[in-house]
Amino acid sequence: MKQLNIIKNQNKYFFISLAIIVIGLIFYIVNGVQLDIQFSGGTRIMIETNGEVDSNQAEVLVENALGKSVTAQTQKTNNPGAEGEVIYMLRLDIASEETLTPEERDLVIDIISENFDVKEGGNQEMLSVEPSIGRETLLNGLKAVVIASVLIILYVTWRFSSMHGFAAAITAIIALLHDVAITFALYPVFKYPLGEVFITAALTIIGYSLNNTIVIYDRIRENFKLMRKSTPDEIVNTSISQSLTRTINSTVTTLIAVVTLYISASVSNISSLKEFSLPLIIGLVAGTYSSLFIAGPLWLTWRKRASMKRALKKA
Amino acid sequence: MRNYSILKLVAVIIVIAVCAFLAFNEVKNDNIRTGIDIRGGVYAILEPDIDKSSLSAEEVDKGLESAKTILGKRLDARNIFDRSINIDSVNDRIIIEIPWAAGETNFNPQDQLNELGKTALLTFQEVDKSKVDENGNYLPTGKIVLQGTQVKDAYAAAYQEKGEWVVVLDLDESGVASFAEATGRLVGEPIAIFMDDQLISAPVVSQKIEGGNAIITGQANATEAAELAATIRSGALPFRLVATKVDSISPQLGTGAMNVAVKAGIVGFLLVCLFMILVYRLPGLIASIGLFGLAVLTILSVAWTKISITLPGIGGIILAIGMGVDANCVIYERIKEELREGKTLRAAVDQGFHRAFTAVLDSNVTTLITAVVLYALGSGPIKGFAMTLGIGVAISFITAVTATKLMLQGVTGISAFKNKWLYGVK
Repeated sequence: MKQLNIIKNQNKYFFISLAIIVIGLIFYIVNGVQLDIQFSGGTRIMIETNGEVDSNQAEVLVENALGKSVTAQTQKTNNPGAEGEVIYMLRLDIASEETLTPEERDLVIDIISENFDVKEGGNQEMLSVEPSIGRETLLNGLKAVVIASVLIILYVTWRFSSMHGFAAAITAIIALLHDVAITFALYPVFKYPLGEVFITAALTIIGYSLNNTIVIYDRIRENFKLMRKSTPDEIVNTSISQSLTRTINSTVTTLIAVVTLYISASVSNISSLKEFSLPLIIGLVAGTYSSLFIAGPLWLTWRKRASMKRALKKA
Repeated sequence: MRNYSILKLVAVIIVIAVCAFLAFNEVKNDNIRTGIDIRGGVYAILEPDIDKSSLSAEEVDKGLESAKTILGKRLDARNIFDRSINIDSVNDRIIIEIPWAAGETNFNPQDQLNELGKTALLTFQEVDKSKVDENGNYLPTGKIVLQGTQVKDAYAAAYQEKGEWVVVLDLDESGVASFAEATGRLVGEPIAIFMDDQLISAPVVSQKIEGGNAIITGQANATEAAELAATIRSGALPFRLVATKVDSISPQLGTGAMNVAVKAGIVGFLLVCLFMILVYRLPGLIASIGLFGLAVLTILSVAWTKISITLPGIGGIILAIGMGVDANCVIYERIKEELREGKTLRAAVDQGFHRAFTAVLDSNVTTLITAVVLYALGSGPIKGFAMTLGIGVAISFITAVTATKLMLQGVTGISAFKNKWLYGVK
């Protein structure tokens, strides 16, 4: 087995991660993050049209009629019922503190019908979310993640007590934050609107990356018992090297599944699945990277610092 | 001993085959429920329009419970039987999901929901002729002579003489008494009939009515009369419910997403199996059988527990399958290590499973913790994700650890499969 020296190069690995996160942060400061209606509150109306329409024109028309800010977009989706046919949808997002009244909604549909070639009896979709509910979905999601993290810290602290469980738990959580931060960077960089899909993707990534990290920690835990004569650096290096094949193989298999989903969704223009699988791909790669190159080295750095402090105190 | 080993292998394969057959039937009979985001339909969150601090938690719970029953009756009256009404007791609200009926494409969900969320408190009130709105309609006075709770039954009827539609109310005992008393006292005066604060009609009392029936006139047509009768029959809600979130999704777009997800799932599954077999050879094949078992058991548990599969739910299944594959990778790498150290096949398999067990256990337990917390605290999409993830991880623990272990032990007992090359080691 090839022995990697990850500990020796750990600062390089930390730097790469930090650089990506900082780039995401810069984009976040410059671009901000656009929240989807699902979180910000407002009304979304989707109307099927015959062929593509001018979304800019639709935006201006509806904006003038309502006196509210509107974002219009056109979307194309393959028709699942008829091979080769495409469904054109005009999507209007009206984000505001209040959802549209029935009268306002009818007005929007009338304006679009008068000015564009709306398909008779075609698909129509509507989403209306009170801002309070949207914010609550976001906050509840975050709350759930925080509580789950606390329980995971407790569990890992208990199960990995032989390798100073608390340090192991905290560094595992840092690795997860790293994965979510990198996935999150996708949104300000490419100006994607952040919606409920992100929460699902982030949760999947957290679950997967935690699984990866735990397997490596398990090896470290075991090797501390088996390799009593080796230095901690050697033990961590060996453990990561031993887990390398498995980590790569299982990540490749999961990536195969998710990339297949992404490609199929792209071919058929299914935006909901695309929005879900793209952050997953980024997150899976980030998660594997952090399990191999961040969590273990970080844990070791923590332990070395702690024992150094103890030594200093004694002296 | 050798025959016993083969028995294990055969038994596991038979169990998986039976499950696959059952799962196939469930799929064929359309017993897999899909969520609104896939099937199309309306998803709505209704919140009580009250100051929550004015009611105790118990009163709110009771109110929501009765609101749920009444909403059910109102939907029955509209011939909407395929629906789910759930109380979200954490956030004190009601979640309604109504899938599209076949052929139905456009109805205005927001208006319907607002209609549905009305308290529908029916009252007959004395009028004060000086209290009218700008159109000359009477305003509520609060002097109630009869109310909805005193109505036994309500139905629409055609009023022959005038050719108009009315709603006939059958009153209960107390209703008969108070209606007779009021009509006796108010001959020549109008009585106003209100639904919530809205005036429906204000007929003038021509004589004392003792028959136990009251009639609401002024209905535009048969449908309107029938709807009003149904609303009165189903009773009044304890509070008004407002729709704070309404999501109406077209069935066609949802079906498109589902088709693509299923196809991608099958292709992805086959590719993963191919990869596992190329990398791990015979154990890879066994892992693929285990994965197939995971897939069919997931389908079965989803069908039997009547969970709705949502798009986030598919995310949960992907993660569970990913973790199942990973458990196999962890175990097989261990087995290879043991084989390289020169252990016999049998010992290597046993040791491999034994030493990989803590890693697989800990990673599965942490994921289960996540799933349980998300299920308990999350709402909507998060709950759907947590549910399938929890089920999937529990199943994958059985298929990826127990089932593959039994099959591998079985295979290693067969002399034709003793070559170490088959296990990825020279």
